[in-house]
Amino acid sequence: MSAPFYKYGLFGDEISLVIAFLIGIGFGFFLERAGFGNARKLAAQFYFYDMTVFKVMFSAIVTAMIGLYYLSVLGFVDLSLVYVSPTFLLPQVVGGLILGVGFAVGGYCPGTSAVAAATGRLDGVVCLFGIVAGIFFFGEVFPAIETFYRATPMGSVTLPQLLGISYGLILFLVVLMALGGFLLAGWAEKKFAHLRPE
Amino acid sequence: MFTSSSAVTDHAPHRERPYWHPYAAGIGLGLVLLLAFVIMGRGLGASGAFSSLVTTVVHAVAPAHAQNNAFYQEYLGDGTKSPLHDWLVFEVIGVFAGGFLSGALAGRLRTTIEKGPRISNGGRLTLAFLGGFIMGVGAKLARGCTSGQALTGGALLSVGSWAFMLCVFAGAYAAAYFVRREWI
Amino acid sequence: MKNPLTNLNWKRRIALLALALGVIALFAGNPYRGGCVSLDTKELALMVQNERDHVSVEQLADWIIQGRTDFRLLDCRSEKEFNDYHIPTAESVPLAALNDYPVQRNERIILYSEGGIHASQAWFLLAALGYKHVYLLTGGLDEWRDKILFPAIPANTSAEQQAQFAKMKEVSRYFGGTPQSGAASDQAAVKKETPKMPVPSGSAPSVPSGSKKKKEGC
Repeated sequence: MSAPFYKYGLFGDEISLVIAFLIGIGFGFFLERAGFGNARKLAAQFYFYDMTVFKVMFSAIVTAMIGLYYLSVLGFVDLSLVYVSPTFLLPQVVGGLILGVGFAVGGYCPGTSAVAAATGRLDGVVCLFGIVAGIFFFGEVFPAIETFYRATPMGSVTLPQLLGISYGLILFLVVLMALGGFLLAGWAEKKFAHLRPE
Repeated sequence: MFTSSSAVTDHAPHRERPYWHPYAAGIGLGLVLLLAFVIMGRGLGASGAFSSLVTTVVHAVAPAHAQNNAFYQEYLGDGTKSPLHDWLVFEVIGVFAGGFLSGALAGRLRTTIEKGPRISNGGRLTLAFLGGFIMGVGAKLARGCTSGQALTGGALLSVGSWAFMLCVFAGAYAAAYFVRREWI
Repeated sequence: MKNPLTNLNWKRRIALLALALGVIALFAGNPYRGGCVSLDTKELALMVQNERDHVSVEQLADWIIQGRTDFRLLDCRSEKEFNDYHIPTAESVPLAALNDYPVQRNERIILYSEGGIHASQAWFLLAALGYKHVYLLTGGLDEWRDKILFPAIPANTSAEQQAQFAKMKEVSRYFGGTPQSGAASDQAAVKKETPKMPVPSGSAPSVPSGSKKKKEGC
């Protein structure tokens, strides 16, 4: 009845930092278990012969989405207290495209580059330096792009709210899409297996 | 000096254990994310911690400059505590630890450079830095990266996050053709 | 008849489970509370009876003078009434806005209105929503005016009472009030002018500096 626990004052900021560390361990652990500490496996997604990125990402999304929905409907979690970051459509679209390019070039995303660095991959360490440098560059040119950065604000809006469809229906559609995607992914892996370098 | 791995084998020589099945790892990841929702009322992230790091360094070197810059100022807050005193920073430290733990348990700790068979070590490292730089810019524009926006925002059905996620795949697939010599 | 489910491997079983949960979600309803709460009426009644939920005007005045930032002071009246006069450091939260107003559940909240009726109703709303540290200003703005802004003392009083009143006079002046003294007839003659509020600059009401604007992004 009283979750999210932190927002109900069950514990303070100092404990929340300990929890952050523990949750981070879980996060990093499963990322490495999936093989995401390895740039070759991550990049393989974009040549279709290894669709692990898609499979992991969407099974994670569906798991958390379903879990959160049912915990809320059953009254255990107050969904309105879970933070949804505000949407800025245009910069997020452009930022996504840019990040995608960087992902294919660099071979990692920020989270997985940390995992790679932690398991000894030098390219992961170098990628981390690149990310830090990119963020610094962004900070320095920020005054020039601030208007674009704050363009098209839409607030913390969810798909059900935007489309005027029930949360449950969107959830169902996402599940369908994910399951369908997994089938297609399996098919793609077989079809493009010849691209796998050996 | 560094060995490099250029074959995508799921189990290498000696005692490297195979990776988990993608769906199993994905469900595990989803449960961790769910825990964050239930305990903290927020999701995961990564790029924000690096922003805090950059802000801390810039502020140490040039405090006035940092304070006058709206981007750094957001991470400096009211100046009462360090930007590193932040949930995301501790979470990312945990990511390093968790990744190391999993790698150690599976015998997958290796000083190496992951790359495809047709590129040199130097070339790979250059592209790793360049890719990271590009991602740093993209992640800040989008207010997050795949961990925070795609994973967390995706599970929360946030509009911007789903748009972001689609664009990440689009951008990556588009770029993949041009860097194919790096990987295959 | 063999159960067809036993033929499926674990992947297919999980996929089926996800599908089933997805279908159920079509009918399971809205995950947002939508303002429906369940109440422990006994617990609430006990809280009221034990009067653990009251704060006197003198206490509040003290806290404001001390500059304490460990509480949020919410004014439950309309915005116009708020702009005419409000207790310093208060935030305007008319009842309708209360449900969505950003206050953490572990923060201390003090409610007031003119006499206390709206504040009491707001108290009940917040208690139902799960807020644990909500207090009512005893007597509301009426009492604030009587005791803090325009404290009065009859003509013949002991030296001790005079000394106490001297302190009240200081408090009153701090908040821009006018202390009354002398015979009752004189008091009636003195005009009780409510201190003018500084014109709101348009920015958000003074939120205690301790309130952390928490970064929850990624």
